[in-house]
Amino acid sequence: MSFEADVIGKLPQLRRYARALAGDAAWADDLVQDAAERALLRRKAFEPGSNLRAWLFTILRNLYIDQLRARREIAVDDESAPWRNLEAPRGEVDGLVLRDVQQALYHLSMEQREVILLVGVEELTYQEASNVLDIPIGTVMSRLSRAREHMRMLLDVGPAHKPAPLKVVRNKP
Amino acid sequence: MNDDHRDSGPEAGKADKAGEAGIDSQMLGAFVDGELNETHRAAVLSALERDPEAKARVAAWRAQKAALRALCNAPEEGAAPVIVLRARTAWPRRMALAAGWLAAGIAIGVMASTLMPELRRHQEPATFARRADIAYAVYAPEVRHPVEVGAGDEAHLMSWLSKRLGKPLSVPSLREYGYSLVGGRLLPGEAGPAAQFMYESASGARLTLYVTRIPTDETAFRLLRDGDRRTFYWVSDHLGYALSGPISEAKLRAIAIEVCSALGGKPESWQ
Repeated sequence: MSFEADVIGKLPQLRRYARALAGDAAWADDLVQDAAERALLRRKAFEPGSNLRAWLFTILRNLYIDQLRARREIAVDDESAPWRNLEAPRGEVDGLVLRDVQQALYHLSMEQREVILLVGVEELTYQEASNVLDIPIGTVMSRLSRAREHMRMLLDVGPAHKPAPLKVVRNKP
Repeated sequence: MNDDHRDSGPEAGKADKAGEAGIDSQMLGAFVDGELNETHRAAVLSALERDPEAKARVAAWRAQKAALRALCNAPEEGAAPVIVLRARTAWPRRMALAAGWLAAGIAIGVMASTLMPELRRHQEPATFARRADIAYAVYAPEVRHPVEVGAGDEAHLMSWLSKRLGKPLSVPSLREYGYSLVGGRLLPGEAGPAAQFMYESASGARLTLYVTRIPTDETAFRLLRDGDRRTFYWVSDHLGYALSGPISEAKLRAIAIEVCSALGGKPESWQ
């Protein structure tokens, strides 16, 4: 199979990762486009026999970080945050629960989110995740367990947990 | 944000105890992710029987994992992704072009230094602009190593180059113009170190911002033309800046003005 065909074969997974990472379908599609283009142009940088999917994730992640830096300057309030506009999927799993999971996912820092997605959803090994993220395996493991505990806490408390509105108390004269 | 405290491998997390039985939280993660060998797996399984807290944690993590998969595998709306490959100059050709410009740059540099000493002294900042231009020609075509430190580690990049130049540096975002920071490298300048920051557009076009210390503090804004490359340069607060790229003069000028004002310069004085 040709390199192009291999890359094209990975696009659905690349897209899944991009959407989950960025939480914004249009942005994710741009990222996939840019990443695939870059991958095809830089095929010589790919080590034959290594994990193509992990390599593509690496490229996409670098693009994402670049673009994130620029977008971070735009303040995102909770109402216009990307995940607000995502439809929670329906199916066998209760949509409401998934919506909570989705919100919790975007309350994690990017570092925690990406590791939980690479290992949990994309099923990369710790070694592969360590290559994609360019951090030691020990860091993958510690970051992952912190991410999971954070997510668990968010799901227990509820990510939309807000302090009770303040009551106006009048001082009697 | 960096919340990583333990960076020294799987053994490093031993202090991170979970519950009375003392099963390492990272061990539990490895268990959930199928990363353990048979011996360790069996050990965790039997330890879980004695540790309800760890057992609950494993159950919660497994549920999370399943829910995330369900979330991410939800049927997609919209068309399947279509990848459009944009035409670009093949890189051997770009390399050859750059080598040509580099030779031209050196030739002009030699000419300037031997034949026109007065002119050279008079337009002293042009030397750093020339260096910036040549540095562009050398590094912009680099495919695998365009920078020494990538923008992924921007804090380190900035502190490293600031330290070497002995002045706090910052670089503006050029995202508005479609360029994102790739990273930077340290270069030998005329009288000390120089920093080169590289930006890249989605289609792979590159701009570089070259920064070096300059004894004089001339604020004139000038243009250097070399082949199809343009370099706008200026001096602000004893730092010489040069923005180089093969794009139109008007566009590069607009970006240079933006960069200058973002870095605390006064571009109004040129207009």
